[in-house]
Amino acid sequence: MNNSDAESFMELRDVNKTFRLPSGEVRALDGVSLGIEKGALVALVGPSGSGKTTLLNIIGALDKPSQGEVLLERVRIDRFSEEQLVQFRREKFSFIFQDAKPLRMLNVLENTLLPFTFFKPKHGNGSIKDVAIEIIKSLGLGHRIYHMPSQLSGGEIQRVAIARALITHPAVILADEPTANLDRDNRLFVIETFKRLSRERGITIVFSTHDLEIANSSDRIIQMKDGVLLKDGSSLCPPCPT
Amino acid sequence: MNLLSLASKDIMRRKGKSVYLLTAMLTPVVILSTILLTVDNADRSLSALASKFGFTLTVQPKNIKVERIDQIGVVIDEYLPETVIKSIDEIIRSRTGNKKEVIIIAPRIYQRTDTLIRRLSVSTVVAGIDFRTERTAKPSWHLSSGRWPMGDEETIIGGAFARANNLSENAVISVDGRTFMVAGILENYNVSEDYMVFVPFSVLQDIFGKIGFVSLVNVQNVTLDRDRNLLRDVIDDLNNSIPNIKTLLPQQFSTMKYVLLKKTFKFLLSIVAATVFISIFAIFNIVTSVLYSRTREIGLLKTVGASRSQLLVMLLGEYSAMGLAAGIAGYPIGMVMTYILDSFVLNLGVGVRFSLTVLLAAIASGILCSLAAGFYPTYKLSGIKISDSFRTQWEV
Repeated sequence: MNNSDAESFMELRDVNKTFRLPSGEVRALDGVSLGIEKGALVALVGPSGSGKTTLLNIIGALDKPSQGEVLLERVRIDRFSEEQLVQFRREKFSFIFQDAKPLRMLNVLENTLLPFTFFKPKHGNGSIKDVAIEIIKSLGLGHRIYHMPSQLSGGEIQRVAIARALITHPAVILADEPTANLDRDNRLFVIETFKRLSRERGITIVFSTHDLEIANSSDRIIQMKDGVLLKDGSSLCPPCPT
Repeated sequence: MNLLSLASKDIMRRKGKSVYLLTAMLTPVVILSTILLTVDNADRSLSALASKFGFTLTVQPKNIKVERIDQIGVVIDEYLPETVIKSIDEIIRSRTGNKKEVIIIAPRIYQRTDTLIRRLSVSTVVAGIDFRTERTAKPSWHLSSGRWPMGDEETIIGGAFARANNLSENAVISVDGRTFMVAGILENYNVSEDYMVFVPFSVLQDIFGKIGFVSLVNVQNVTLDRDRNLLRDVIDDLNNSIPNIKTLLPQQFSTMKYVLLKKTFKFLLSIVAATVFISIFAIFNIVTSVLYSRTREIGLLKTVGASRSQLLVMLLGEYSAMGLAAGIAGYPIGMVMTYILDSFVLNLGVGVRFSLTVLLAAIASGILCSLAAGFYPTYKLSGIKISDSFRTQWEV
């Protein structure tokens, strides 16, 4: 299931990404090719500046590669217009960012339902509010439904982000450092939730992390350095730099 | 939850910054409201002034011989038929669109004659006037003593004439054998009227056998006072339509002041325009600063599916709502400012009146200023790449 698998759900072919900065050009990704099967739980590891976030952005069509192809279900999404990308993200992707905290003026339920401020739910069975409450409860926040973000702990805030990601029934969840700044219990809760979603709902989850324990809990670990894939396997190699 | 409720929650969350922004938006609205309300007040004040300071035009006989002009400046022994009054009224009504504004027509008849004062004969210009009409046209006409005449045997006299002849109220004078009691003495205005004796119009016509004749006809109309082009047209019309008359345009204080104030208001409005322009820059800076702090929030909204147009609607909706609030709040502040300006500087003396037009202008200016200032930074930010929103500095 490694690298360019013809049957991959998601595929990157020889992707390069270069940023032009005042100090010169920086190559964030250099000839990255990989395939990810549906329902996989994939961890991206590597030191800061290795290209993990850039890779996540390109997989999630948040950024376009300077060179190469990005395919989802055999459709090249790197050629999509902005309008197509907006629609595509709504249907396929959810994102969890370390910095993307819930909106402070909305309570937990409203934050969970935030995506439906901008588009209609695609599933019509039952009240979407009931679905949201169900998701919130499944993440252990049943007692926090109407609480404001200022009343939540760091771990609870991250669970709100997960709830918001799940409400749209995405095919793919991309998470950038989702366990950063969390204590061990919350880190384990997040990764266990990811494993459950991957296993039970078939959601493809790709996340970046510095946490080796969390990375080792995933199905697949992709190690990166200087924009290049160092290793792609089911466990970390001891000498690999992190 | 829809876009606008999300926007309103965001305004409420950022109370401090919202108040700061609202204050900046208030500035042009308050200035605009103040100026427009002052212009409105001045317009009403000038209507009052126009009626206070005399007549709009004077119709008198054409081709007056020089020797007919008396030493105090009035025309003696030249007459028009009284029927011109009806013609004048018809022409002015038709040209001013038959508005309900009052057209005051005050005919006068002058005669120089000898009056008998304490057995002394004094050469005097006697004016026959309709006291009620003259007082309506000139509310500033005041008596220094006495009262206005109530009957055909009563007269009022000019202040200079009274002083020169040592006359006071209740004195008796005789005009061509007809006795009159001095009911009141006019204040001095440094005009020819200071030297005249005034008796009822029809009485003077009767005394001198001039029934059906007038020396001149004074006309006052506010519409004509305001519109000098229309006034010129009316004068042309009168001169061309009625034979043997000449219409004069007294350079009246009211008209001159009106024109002067109109120019002043144009200048003030240009200051408003400049203030609005500067305020837009101030609002622009604040909006940019506020938006800068919301970069990550915008990125988050985009990740959950917000399109650029939805973000534009949401953010511009916020600024429009604040512009609306600035318009509504700025108007009463403008009224207070107008009151203060009127009380301590302009002294227009007509008070401050609610004006729906100015209120709507204030609201429109609030919304337009906020949109004009907010559009560019909002457009720029709504187009930011999600990946950039979480890790780079955003610059307008």
